[in-house]
Amino acid sequence: MSKEQILSSDGLPLEVSLKKAERKNKLKAVALVAPLFLFILIIYIFPIGDMLFRSVDDRMITKMLPKTFAAMEKWDGQDLPEEPVYKGLYEDLSYLKKTKTYGKIIARLNYEKGGFSSLIKKTVRKINKFEEGNYKEQFIKVHKRWGESEYLVALKNTAPNWSYAKYLKGIDRKFDQDRNIIQVPEDRRIHKTLWLRTLNVAFWVTIFCFILAYPISHLLATLPMKYSNLLMICVLLPFWTSLLVRTSSWMVLLQQQGPINDLIVWIGLAADDNRPELMYNVIGTFVAMTQILLPFMVLPLYSVMKTISPSLMRAGKSLGGTPLVSFVKIYFPLTIPGIGAGCLLVFILAIGYYITPALVGGASGSLISNTIAYHMKSSLDWAFASALGTMLLVGVLTIYWIYNKLVGIDNIKLG
Amino acid sequence: MKKISKLLLALSFVLSVTTSAFAVTVVSWGGAYTESQKLGYGDPTAAKLGIPVNWVDYTGGLSEIKAQKEAGKITWDIIDVYAKDTIVGCDEGIFHEFDFDKDFAPAPDGTPASQDFFTSMPSKCAVGNILYSWNYAYNDATIGDKKPSTLKDFFNTKKFPGKRALYKGAMSNLEIAITADGVNPGKGSDLTYRKLDADGGIDRAMNKLKALCEDPNGGCVFWNAGAQPPELLANGEVVMATGWNGRFFNAQMEGTPLVQVWDGQILDYEYFALVKDGPGYADGSALKVLREMTSSEGLAGSAKYIAYAPWRKSSIAVMEAGEPWFKDGKTNMVPHMPTAPANTKRYILMNPEFWADNQDEIGEKWEAMKAGL
Repeated sequence: MSKEQILSSDGLPLEVSLKKAERKNKLKAVALVAPLFLFILIIYIFPIGDMLFRSVDDRMITKMLPKTFAAMEKWDGQDLPEEPVYKGLYEDLSYLKKTKTYGKIIARLNYEKGGFSSLIKKTVRKINKFEEGNYKEQFIKVHKRWGESEYLVALKNTAPNWSYAKYLKGIDRKFDQDRNIIQVPEDRRIHKTLWLRTLNVAFWVTIFCFILAYPISHLLATLPMKYSNLLMICVLLPFWTSLLVRTSSWMVLLQQQGPINDLIVWIGLAADDNRPELMYNVIGTFVAMTQILLPFMVLPLYSVMKTISPSLMRAGKSLGGTPLVSFVKIYFPLTIPGIGAGCLLVFILAIGYYITPALVGGASGSLISNTIAYHMKSSLDWAFASALGTMLLVGVLTIYWIYNKLVGIDNIKLG
Repeated sequence: MKKISKLLLALSFVLSVTTSAFAVTVVSWGGAYTESQKLGYGDPTAAKLGIPVNWVDYTGGLSEIKAQKEAGKITWDIIDVYAKDTIVGCDEGIFHEFDFDKDFAPAPDGTPASQDFFTSMPSKCAVGNILYSWNYAYNDATIGDKKPSTLKDFFNTKKFPGKRALYKGAMSNLEIAITADGVNPGKGSDLTYRKLDADGGIDRAMNKLKALCEDPNGGCVFWNAGAQPPELLANGEVVMATGWNGRFFNAQMEGTPLVQVWDGQILDYEYFALVKDGPGYADGSALKVLREMTSSEGLAGSAKYIAYAPWRKSSIAVMEAGEPWFKDGKTNMVPHMPTAPANTKRYILMNPEFWADNQDEIGEKWEAMKAGL
């Protein structure tokens, strides 16, 4: 009697019956989550994995020049290599010519060092006329670059199957002939400038957005409904307008003969023949980007401020605090989740911006994303574009991590 | 009778809908340029061959077609590309290699196609389409009494103070800089690129540009889109601007008092390339369409709508016979062509091989120079 099981109404032990019901629920939950999970897997995890993979994958060229690289292993990279390297190169290139697949190595090698494109093409054109033996001399006769060790060092540097050279390039570093990491020549150090410029623009745009958005959001949250709705529409209307339209409107407004400059001259702040430059410099970038990203700061701030009861401030005042003290001690701390969300949102969006700065920023308007787009679209160096993309992603994740340590991610509120 | 014609109309509509599955897709840059291609030779070709021709816009570069090829689903047949893209695309095996005289129609007088084009092609995968020019222009209403007439004047900030608009990339800027620095290009000689390729050549050109941009009487505005240079001139933002001659021409036709300076212009080309294994590749319909579009009359047709020169010599003859050739029925087009004798007294011929070799390296130096301005 003591060991008798409790049965459910259909005669099964209660424990089994419960498990059955739970399993059903679990399956249901999994089925509900599955589409989202698959979606994220297919359009998020997989492409990012692919990007990471591309940035370090350098197997193609290793496969296409096997004999060259085998012979190069014995070469120390100091003087010109000996005959076997050139012989290997001859055999590899002849084979590639026969199979008409040499085009791929041209593109790859030209990323490594400019000038390879014409070098390989010229060599391949003449390779049928090569005689046996003394390949080194014949190669140098076809093109003098085969006698310059920097080209052969560049070739050797492409040998490893997997390489993080693209990441080095992203911070203006490269391998020298002994595989030490060195800086690239000074007149080509551009990526570091671009990274700093991107961070700088994103930082200041976030600050400006915050300064402008805080009072607006406060007004939105405290005004009576009929006014705040109108104000809300004013915030949202530009948000619904195309990015390009807004950028072009700024170009019209900010140009030297434009209305804002006319106004400045009319007020007498500047002489007519000495109009200030508001565009094609960093001012244009800040103004246009701040306006475009403003709603992303206003909306989270507004939704947080809306939930703060006005009686809290009244309570603060009744306990003897001046308006400033009550604001600093009560209101401001309560809005921090909104500030966090807004700043993070604006900063992350700003860091990936490139159309607006390219149009209104002039020479200072090219940011790291422009370079990524350039390598995706024009130079087709997808490996380098992936490496830069990965670095940007890691950068954003780092900022997120720091934010989490400092403020705590649970404190973010979008509404 | 009426009923039958209606029936035929309906039938032809149904047919056109069903055959559009076999349409040939041509990809180009959009805007007024694609419009000129569509009206000039796209529609006539479709009518003549009975093969519908679809036009798709893109923003240049080979990334999309490369992605299509990697995914194994190619939807484009013919692409309008830059020279360096035909070279890269040919190397990567994306484009078809032409048998030039067999694949393309001879001139009306029987001259084989390879002799009829102004220059030879940069790769086996390219067939010429238009020649356009990177020249510069000024606004006649605001320039004053002295008018610039040479490429040197573009860099002369004493005589012509004010900002200049330059293309955002290094391409075209290095060429005009080294020319203004005293390297005479003559009639498209290779001296320009030999000097650029020589030790210190690129620095020489870049210093010239840097001096112009840092000059308190000068200064530079960099443009992205082809519509910007005429706009910048029209509203007085800059005193001179480099740009594409077709865009300047359009602004002139709309009434902006722009004057183009042809001295030291850079003649550049657009090409068509045929995508290997595109939808119309196996049955040859894409090549048929391409052959028709690049015939003498075909290429001449586009110049009715835009001031870019057809690449065939025989097309110019077609235009001369049909003047006034512009769509408004009163403007003679031949003098507006970059290839017109008055415009080619001194010009630079774009060298795609130079840019294919050096674009990344120069691009980095260029950006570093711009960052230091």
